[in-house]
Amino acid sequence: MGVILATVKKELISYLFSPVAYVIAVVLYFARGVEVYNLVLFAAGSHLDTTTFSSYYVVQGNTAYFFFVLVPPILTMRCFAEEKRTGSLEVLMTAPVRDMEVVVGKWIAACVFLALLWLPTLPILTMLSSDWMLGQTITYGIVASSYLGLFLLGSMLLAVGVFTSSLTDNVLLAAIIAMIFNVMMIMAPGFIHPRLVDWFGETYLVTAFVEQTSVFDHLRHWFGRGMIDSSKVMFYLGGCGLFLFLTVRSLESRKWQ
Amino acid sequence: MITVQDLTKHFGQTRAVDGISFEIDTGEVVGFLGPNGAGKTTTIRVLTCFHPATSGRAEVAGFDVFKRPDDVRRNVGYLCENVPLYPDLRVEEFLHYRAMLKGVPRGQRKSAVGAVMERCGVLEVRRKLVGHVSRGYRQRVGLADALVASPSILILDEPTSGLDPNQRRRVKELVRELAIDHTILFSSHILAEVEDVSTRVIVIDEGKIQADGQPKDLLERSEGRRLTVSAALSPSEMAGCLRGITGTRDPVFDSEDAGFSTVSLAVDAGVDPRDEAFDRLTKASARIRELRLDLPSLEEFFTDLTCRESTDDSAPDRETEA
Repeated sequence: MGVILATVKKELISYLFSPVAYVIAVVLYFARGVEVYNLVLFAAGSHLDTTTFSSYYVVQGNTAYFFFVLVPPILTMRCFAEEKRTGSLEVLMTAPVRDMEVVVGKWIAACVFLALLWLPTLPILTMLSSDWMLGQTITYGIVASSYLGLFLLGSMLLAVGVFTSSLTDNVLLAAIIAMIFNVMMIMAPGFIHPRLVDWFGETYLVTAFVEQTSVFDHLRHWFGRGMIDSSKVMFYLGGCGLFLFLTVRSLESRKWQ
Repeated sequence: MITVQDLTKHFGQTRAVDGISFEIDTGEVVGFLGPNGAGKTTTIRVLTCFHPATSGRAEVAGFDVFKRPDDVRRNVGYLCENVPLYPDLRVEEFLHYRAMLKGVPRGQRKSAVGAVMERCGVLEVRRKLVGHVSRGYRQRVGLADALVASPSILILDEPTSGLDPNQRRRVKELVRELAIDHTILFSSHILAEVEDVSTRVIVIDEGKIQADGQPKDLLERSEGRRLTVSAALSPSEMAGCLRGITGTRDPVFDSEDAGFSTVSLAVDAGVDPRDEAFDRLTKASARIRELRLDLPSLEEFFTDLTCRESTDDSAPDRETEA
């Protein structure tokens, strides 16, 4: 536990020191600004239903795609690629630590930083809902489930980023691989579904498979509507576990040479 | 403290370490010598549990490096070649992080970090970012890191590489101080340092141990020693007088000065021809001005053992791969 805590602390210091994190914050808040603008246009003159209003700002806007494709890979690209490039991985791995502890520590730090990035967006929603702005009613349960879904999906994509970072000593390449991975995850259900239907017909299994593996749909159609389904939570947590496990194996590969 | 038996490490088809065996006892300071690509770093990485060996056995502080890597790491302080540290942490932050990582109890962490900063002379840069301190300080921060959990064994991989002479001297002094209460294995290809600091040297080349012992013993047993004699004889008389001394060969006349001739002879390993030379010269009633046995320098000894011009080009590849 001490190793994980030490790693989280050190990584958070590195994030706060890194100019990249601040660039990400600026881009994120700019994108959030675009969403606020859209929301204001959308809500002007009409009274949105509370569900749409409560979830739109968090997960329904188009910038969410942009955020999920770009931000997690950029946040995690240095995790192991930089350590490999500079040689500090040797310093790290010759301390009395387990590979798994280091991997989990780095991932948790990235998750905490992602949560910190999103935190300032919460008061804006409250402000928008006030009478002197849009005067909408907020259902805080939906907001909470939307943020939870956002955090879970973000955590899974961060695990993907941590994994791709362990594959190479090139920071940029690690980010690009993770971005490609994320794009594939967004596009795969739409791409695979018609082909599966061609091959197997519109069966329950095909529909269930596509539905269960649509990482973004879980967020929008479930968490974004205030529904916390344990299977979706497990899907995201399982994804985290899978990619963290793969990262540990990837680090262990130095022992297989 | 460190036992290595038949250790072999392959990287694909390349055999980086080839069945080496050695033991290091408590309190010894052992210089691990070898040219680039000899297998030093690979051996050290096995001993620090960074990667396993292909075959063989290694124990550090009584723990098997393959079966008990955590226990080994707890007992070893390791200074990596090139000291890759985290440039975005302050020196003190970095050492606190490393102390936490190495399991130094919370209550002792502050004092442990303070003590190693003082011992390694980095107190004045404690607030600076690691990326902003000079190479010499970085090396000392690396040493402080190796020491922070009070390990009994220190493994230092090229601790002085890339340093200027002053910085090298300071690091050497520090290693000498540390030798009082640590077992130290340090690799280098700077021979003067090894000679200065270590009580024993292990020379490795092409993955095999070429020599192992105290520097003086190794030099005394080595080829390349020369007997120098200066006596009041003509060169021809001198040649006649010294011809056939047991274990000597290749006489070279250096000079003739005011009736004194100086000659030097190559001496075979393990032979001391001084007594016989003295007897012969006194029998010839020659006045002796000088009679000495020159040992080769460690550098000459090292060159003799490891000279392999034909494979020099491939050497860096082996180390890089390692």
